Amino acid sequence: MFAIVLAVLVLAPFVVVGAAAFSGSWNGVFPSDPTTSHLRDALSGDELASLTVSLQTALLGGLLAVVFGTWAALASRTASAPLVRFTDALYHLPIAVPSVVVGLGLLVAFSRPPLLLNGTKWIVVIAHLVLMVAFTYGTVAAALQRTDDAYADVAASLGASPARVLWQVRLPMLRPAIVSAASLSVALSMGEVGATIMVYPASWRTLPVSVFALTDRGQTFVAAAESLVLLAVTVVLVVTLDRLRGRAVER
Amino acid sequence: MTVQLEDVTVHFGRTCALEGLNLTVAAGETVALLGPSGSGKSTALKAVAGFVRPSRGRIRIAGVDVTDVPPAKRGIGVVVQQYALFPHLRVADNVAFGLRAARRPKAEVTRRVAEMLDMVGMSTYARRFPRELSGGQQQRVAIARALAIRPPVLLLDDPLAALDAQLRADMLDELQKLRREVPDVAIVYVTHDQAEALALADRIAVMRAARLVDIAPSADLYAAPPSAFTASFLGGANLLPVEVSADEVRVAGHPLAGVRAKEGNNLLCIRPHAVRLGSGGLPARLLAAQWRGASSRLTCAIDGLPDVRVHIDVPAGGPLPEVGAQVSMVLPPEACSLVPAGTR
Ligand SMILES: Nc1ncnc2c1ncn2[C@@H]1O[C@H](COP(=O)(O)OP(=O)(O)OP(=O)(O)O)[C@@H](O)[C@H]1O
Ligand SMILES: [Mg+2]
Repeated sequence: MFAIVLAVLVLAPFVVVGAAAFSGSWNGVFPSDPTTSHLRDALSGDELASLTVSLQTALLGGLLAVVFGTWAALASRTASAPLVRFTDALYHLPIAVPSVVVGLGLLVAFSRPPLLLNGTKWIVVIAHLVLMVAFTYGTVAAALQRTDDAYADVAASLGASPARVLWQVRLPMLRPAIVSAASLSVALSMGEVGATIMVYPASWRTLPVSVFALTDRGQTFVAAAESLVLLAVTVVLVVTLDRLRGRAVER
Repeated sequence: MTVQLEDVTVHFGRTCALEGLNLTVAAGETVALLGPSGSGKSTALKAVAGFVRPSRGRIRIAGVDVTDVPPAKRGIGVVVQQYALFPHLRVADNVAFGLRAARRPKAEVTRRVAEMLDMVGMSTYARRFPRELSGGQQQRVAIARALAIRPPVLLLDDPLAALDAQLRADMLDELQKLRREVPDVAIVYVTHDQAEALALADRIAVMRAARLVDIAPSADLYAAPPSAFTASFLGGANLLPVEVSADEVRVAGHPLAGVRAKEGNNLLCIRPHAVRLGSGGLPARLLAAQWRGASSRLTCAIDGLPDVRVHIDVPAGGPLPEVGAQVSMVLPPEACSLVPAGTR
């Protein structure tokens, strides 16, 4: 019984969005006038631009988040305990703080020289980076906790320099965690609205923000079609990254 | 090349994992560090390898102080407790790791890897990943990887601990053979198993609670243990309280002819296989008998010493007394020695 309730709650929105995306009007209980024109709208002009913006933001922000998160996790292995606790808290702040607040903070911080990023795409990328880095740091740090220091020790005893130990032992062994951190942050970034809506310039409107704006203007059907596009692209991205991870684990 | 540890002390936060260890291992010599779990054996090894920094003391290799030298510059071969084969590298690449780190020419790397894999009998597994190997096979690869860089010193941390009994016996054979392949290498062999120490080591260093208790050539340590702890840890000796008066040693009031008295608070040490059941010995009661294949282990209590358990190993085949029966226990004087009671 609970399973049915849960299924309805979880699946209903998807079904409704899917149905709305392909209907010309929805006046009664069921949608009518099936059409693909909304989908065509969603894949043209401004809306298509939104898709590429979202992809670029997610990949760039996700990539940076993975780099910074991994770096921080590796550094915290050797840092002193109080420093580690401090950075731990710092990195987890974006999870606790509402994303709108993060957006507002960035807007205030980067709106005047010398850090004038407001109005550029970089403020969006940074917002995503700040929000995702907590997850990548957490994922990689947890994996690092599980790996034995013995591997790095043995590599060093075999004459490997610290850089060689990092690139040929530590990072390859962390690859599954790094890939899953990447797919997590890309997925989250594709759907991020809260902070983005505070900081985005007109030239850099992500897909979820477009959906929000369209809905706001009453163009619910196009918004639904665009949501469908967002969903499809995110699923494809995550599945692709997961494949990479699968291969990493197999090796 | 010799390894010298001088007053080496290691702390982890407040815990002292190694306290003032003095130890010298000569080129071509095998020294076993033997001790119960947590006695500081691995810590001693890690200090020599450079994985932990001693809070006091010096470590010298071939006379050169390496205390502040990072592990990568020490040139020591290390096999750690769980082997730590790099899971993302094939067997051949694991063995080649140290050679590539030293930027040896490709042809030499290939040749040396083949040679090492051949030495440990793993040539046919060169293309496998570590997780496709059994425990014993991983062990061989770990040894090949450590020896590939021709280290003058090889450290082995309880290499057989993770293997089952049968494989352990086989690998012990292999290690003895391997020892002859590298006659000049100084080997430190950590183990908690006295049989491994006796089979492989020239000298045995017995450790307990972060300290070195005794160190001596294996045969001497076994024949005449200098302390009660070593006597029981190495070979599971029986330790009996004695009364000493005027050159006479007595156990539970019975004089033992032929055992020379010694100054101080001593215990009588005798190995389980040296005790015999016969006539004219100490009266005792048989409490339990355990058949172990080639021998049986009897547990007895001497009359008058109800709290002391005496173990006796008798060869299988002979008649055994009933459990609960009265027996007579003979302690041949040549097998008896007195050891300082100290702390057990
Ligand atoms: N990294 C560490 N941090 C804190 N304490 C440690 C650390 N490594 C070892 N110790 C402590 O130091 C003591 C000695 O440990 P060590 O690993 O040397 O024992 P061991 O003789 O090798 O035991 P085993 O036979 O179980 O491997 C133990 O009490 C252990 O708890
Ligand atoms: Mg150990």
